[in-house]
Amino acid sequence: MSLTDLMSRAKPNPVSQKNMLARLRGRGLLNCFLCIKCTSGCTALKLLELKPHEIEKLVNFGFVDELASSDIIWTCATCLKCIQRCPQKASPYHVIIALRNLAVEKEVRVPEPYMKAVSLILESGLAEPIQKVTSKKMEVCDRESLGLRKTNPPKESFQAAFMKALEEKQP
Amino acid sequence: MKLAVFWGCRILTSQYAYEMSVREVLPRLNMELVDLQENPCCGDPVKSVNDFAANYLAARILALASSTGLKNLLVPCNRCHFVISEAKRLIDNDEAVRSKVEVLLREEGLRYDPTVRMWHVIDLLHDHVGLDIIRKAIVKPLKGLRLASHVGCQIVRYTDLGRVDDAENPKKLDELINVVGAETVDYPEKLDCCGAALIYSHLDSALSLSASKLKAVQSLGVDGLVVSCPDCGMMFDSKQTEAVTTAGAKISLPVVYYTQLLGLALDIEQNRLGLQLNQSPVDTLLAKIPV
Repeated sequence: MSLTDLMSRAKPNPVSQKNMLARLRGRGLLNCFLCIKCTSGCTALKLLELKPHEIEKLVNFGFVDELASSDIIWTCATCLKCIQRCPQKASPYHVIIALRNLAVEKEVRVPEPYMKAVSLILESGLAEPIQKVTSKKMEVCDRESLGLRKTNPPKESFQAAFMKALEEKQP
Repeated sequence: MKLAVFWGCRILTSQYAYEMSVREVLPRLNMELVDLQENPCCGDPVKSVNDFAANYLAARILALASSTGLKNLLVPCNRCHFVISEAKRLIDNDEAVRSKVEVLLREEGLRYDPTVRMWHVIDLLHDHVGLDIIRKAIVKPLKGLRLASHVGCQIVRYTDLGRVDDAENPKKLDELINVVGAETVDYPEKLDCCGAALIYSHLDSALSLSASKLKAVQSLGVDGLVVSCPDCGMMFDSKQTEAVTTAGAKISLPVVYYTQLLGLALDIEQNRLGLQLNQSPVDTLLAKIPV
């Protein structure tokens, strides 16, 4: 849902704000003084209207649940310019990643390819299926025909350990 | 130097040209590569789902690298390099996370090793092998080529984490291109993102970002764009036609991996560098290389 819709009747929730700060492990979220360097350099601003400074401030005000339910947190291109340029170490990138984790925990609708990647890793160890590619001469090539060695899937014990890791709740 | 190598999903499942050219080029500069016994994911897409699980996957890569007995690990993908660097910093500084990760690794008989040193192709070639050694190894200088470089986002940002080059003015890739005899140009869009991370949630926007950078580079009148990350290679080369269709732009720009370019200067056969797999019009670039 869009953030504007979610915010229309929202009330701040100090408890989720506190939990969010714990999740961020001391990163300087509260130090944000809205210089807007993050938003002015943001890769996703022009096309997708992501405004990292707005996210920072809304978390500070306690509107964490609204953000976790909104589509806007999935528009980040993870180019890391915001964290590089933030003079206050408020790190919008990490706030967005933490909000995505919270969205998954709350079972809000998450873009499907992320969950697909997790299940592919469980199956094969890799987050992508192995593809055939076409050469300029229109020959279909795979790893074998290109002389590349076969990929080795993880040992069987990996699946159980990865499942346990996925069950781990953040602070 | 002998190094373990972790390729990551994108290279192993589709960006074969990068893998082929790295495997060809590095041994000629006395870098011996040893594959890990398994090829798992570094944790990148999992970061958005569960940060702890992503850190566990990244720590597992370092543990697998350590079990080869080698202390150096080559990670040619920007994204994997970033994810593993962040996980390493967290695990080394947070006792609680570290002990949880170690318990999971122990179940598989693996051990986390904080002493493994990570390298990317850029810093391995620039800082370890060195420009002088590369210059001496060149047999076919690529004189007359004018190229633009795209270093990518996650290999230079953010500085606090310790990255391979300056975040706002990266020069190492340009210097590496110069050393093979080609000229490089500076341009305002140099740090713009390829958009790869958005293919999961906003494919059209990802392609538009890639198209707008391709358009900017093409307007420089250069012979090609040089990349050193499989995600950037995918966006600018493999998906160039798709990007052009989405953005409705007229673009025809050769895109190559730096290791392919270096391979050409080392006079390695084009098919061994995977140049037959590039989807962008690399023939126009190859035609300009002096025989």
